[in-house]
Amino acid sequence: MDSDHPPAEHAIENYLPLIESLLHEVTRHGRFELGFSIQKGAPLADDLEAPEYVVDFSGPDADLLLERNAALLSAIEYVVLKAVRLEEEHLGKITFDCQDWRRLRNEELRLTAQVAAERVIETGDPFTLSPMSPRERRIIHLTLKDRPQVLTKSEGTGAERKVVIIPANPPSHRARR
Amino acid sequence: MRELIEAIAKALVDNPEQVSVRAVEGEQVTVLELRVHPSDLGKVIGKQGRTARSVRTILNAAGMKLKKRFTLEILE
Repeated sequence: MDSDHPPAEHAIENYLPLIESLLHEVTRHGRFELGFSIQKGAPLADDLEAPEYVVDFSGPDADLLLERNAALLSAIEYVVLKAVRLEEEHLGKITFDCQDWRRLRNEELRLTAQVAAERVIETGDPFTLSPMSPRERRIIHLTLKDRPQVLTKSEGTGAERKVVIIPANPPSHRARR
Repeated sequence: MRELIEAIAKALVDNPEQVSVRAVEGEQVTVLELRVHPSDLGKVIGKQGRTARSVRTILNAAGMKLKKRFTLEILE
């Protein structure tokens, strides 16, 4: 029996105590003035991917957490979920948030996707979005999956990976002017 | 700050007892040298270096609060 790791059932609930204790260590040793609570049922009103649990941070260092596109929040989330060996199937079931940042960012991403898709449909030219994390790219793909006029794919590697929106039908019939 | 890196590294690896962190203090910057079991290197570096990059982001933020610069070296 390895008590450091979740039991074989892999229910998301089994990861929560590990996440909590690691977060206590990170905030204590990093001297971050942050509290957090793990909440069930998403305050994130997000029809695309409502997580089952939200780790919600608050406190004097909330601004530090959200600087540069929430770089610290995302870094803590990434490291902690790696460390507890969250299974692939659970990614998206738990998310880290602070001051509603994720919901606002998701709205912004969906709007960005729609605006870019309009442009692709209008011009017939592919459009490349800025680099995004896997989760953010997923939101773009999901937002546009029901728009038959466009297709989405990802290009590039690592931190430079970007979504490209392309016209579903090659604009050969409209190439002539 | 050494404790921060040690706690994170121990959580990431399969062999926590093989984790050691040494702090080398310079005038401008403190270098934290992280050693892990060779088979755990991938665990602390991650796909395309994403885990190491995230750990450095956490370290930089913690350093900012102390108004100090820290860099993380992962030693093979």
